[in-house]
Amino acid sequence: MKKMWKGNHAIAEAAMRAGCLFYAGYPITPQTEVGEYLSARMPELGRTFLQAENEMSAVYMIFGAYACGMRSMTSSSGPGFSLKQEGIGYLCANNLPAVLVNVQRWGPGLGSLDSSQTDYLRDTRGGGNGDYRVIVLAPNSIQETIDLIYNAWDLAEKYRNPVEILSEGSLGQMMEAVEFPEFKTREEDLGWTWDGTGRDHKKLESSAKPAATKAKIALMTENEQRWESFQTEDAEYIIVAFGLPSRSAKNAIKQMRARGEKVGLIRPISVWPFPYKAFEQAAAASPNLKGFISVESTDAGQLVEDVVIAAKKAKLGMLPVYGLFSGQHIPKSKEVIEFYEKVKDGTEKEVF
Amino acid sequence: MEIVFAGFGGQGVLTAGLIVSEMALEEGKNVTWMPAYGPTMRGGKAYSVVKYSDDEIGCPDMEDIDILVAMNEPSLEYTSFLKDGGTVIVNTDNIPEDVEIDSKYHVVKLPCLEMALNVNNNKGTTIVAIGAMIHKCELFSCDLSKKVLYEIFASKGKEKYAAGNEAALMAGWNAV
Repeated sequence: MKKMWKGNHAIAEAAMRAGCLFYAGYPITPQTEVGEYLSARMPELGRTFLQAENEMSAVYMIFGAYACGMRSMTSSSGPGFSLKQEGIGYLCANNLPAVLVNVQRWGPGLGSLDSSQTDYLRDTRGGGNGDYRVIVLAPNSIQETIDLIYNAWDLAEKYRNPVEILSEGSLGQMMEAVEFPEFKTREEDLGWTWDGTGRDHKKLESSAKPAATKAKIALMTENEQRWESFQTEDAEYIIVAFGLPSRSAKNAIKQMRARGEKVGLIRPISVWPFPYKAFEQAAAASPNLKGFISVESTDAGQLVEDVVIAAKKAKLGMLPVYGLFSGQHIPKSKEVIEFYEKVKDGTEKEVF
Repeated sequence: MEIVFAGFGGQGVLTAGLIVSEMALEEGKNVTWMPAYGPTMRGGKAYSVVKYSDDEIGCPDMEDIDILVAMNEPSLEYTSFLKDGGTVIVNTDNIPEDVEIDSKYHVVKLPCLEMALNVNNNKGTTIVAIGAMIHKCELFSCDLSKKVLYEIFASKGKEKYAAGNEAALMAGWNAV
């Protein structure tokens, strides 16, 4: 029987089901309920919850715990997640897994408490110094949040690479009816962890890192692209949107399709690796494609850049790419329809 | 169906949304509940948006409201999102009785706090509004409404409020 759950509480409970043994974090709106829930739930399950003195200590505690093989996670929002970037870089430099959650709020600096997607470029590009990527999964419902986080540790351990769940303020705060999977634990030894025996940790020499990084990024890009395509066959325009804006976009598309408009949706679920394959499929299936429309809760456009790259890779690089950027709110279906009409009658200028 | 409960923080507009969400879920609908969150507190501006449908639900935020439950005067600003032919429940304990509302909307005016006090439930103001709304807009059966209302509080070990809550629900129900 499905029950109403708040997004942030669902993240926390799904992490428990997935076998997370250690959480360290620091409160920040609109993410605080993740830690709040775990502070009661983890002791109940005999696991360890720790409110760290700040965000940086939290991420380094995760580093230490995962070096010893403990399924661990940390979570934060906008500014707090910025503070964690140094530690995330160290996790990647040392090929350590981890699960990270960013419940995004709007803006640079302190920003505001509004729901947004303005951390997109930072999070999909690694976020810190050096060349690395984090697998970034962006759910658009609370059930999908649960399903993605449930498998996040398996994915992180498979590649020895952090996996991030990119949520949004409103997705963390809202409630929907959901079901949880059963509790699971990883029984097998990861093989490389610090277990006190002095065994080989499979650390790489600096000179071996460029080639290894390139190969790992290529492998994750090939294997981990996830997306939903909706009515892209025969589409003249394809809207690209992830997270909550994708729900408004899909709703708008249903209304427009009912009026005979040929419009479809590509919804990236993995925003890194970006689902290039979805664009290649659309290129093959939609010979009459006239353009792409990026719909995102950013100020000046971030996702739109990946849409351009994906179009180029699908040999659709000559098509115009438009952008509806809704800033501090979730774009409404009505706004998407109005924007599409302006694109169609030529009054909206392309971004690229 | 899109319903907005709006009022002062502390008036119970978030809980009101949850109660109605659970009723819609009991009917087998897809449901979203979204709170206005952030720097809201007791006395501040607060609202919750409930959407339910047999189809997938799009944006969880306020878009085209079918029913606005206005517990205080500032809440009436959300009538700008109300569909033509939509319904406004007006709590006249916090909104002047003679407030002007566009005639394209159905309006129900009730002194919700006074009615709650009449059934000895000083916390039942929004439940009175819910009862009136469900009956007026024919959202759910009376039995389902009573059952879900009971279960929500019973599941939190608060059975002692059950009788008072049902009395508040029925006060609203019978007033329209």
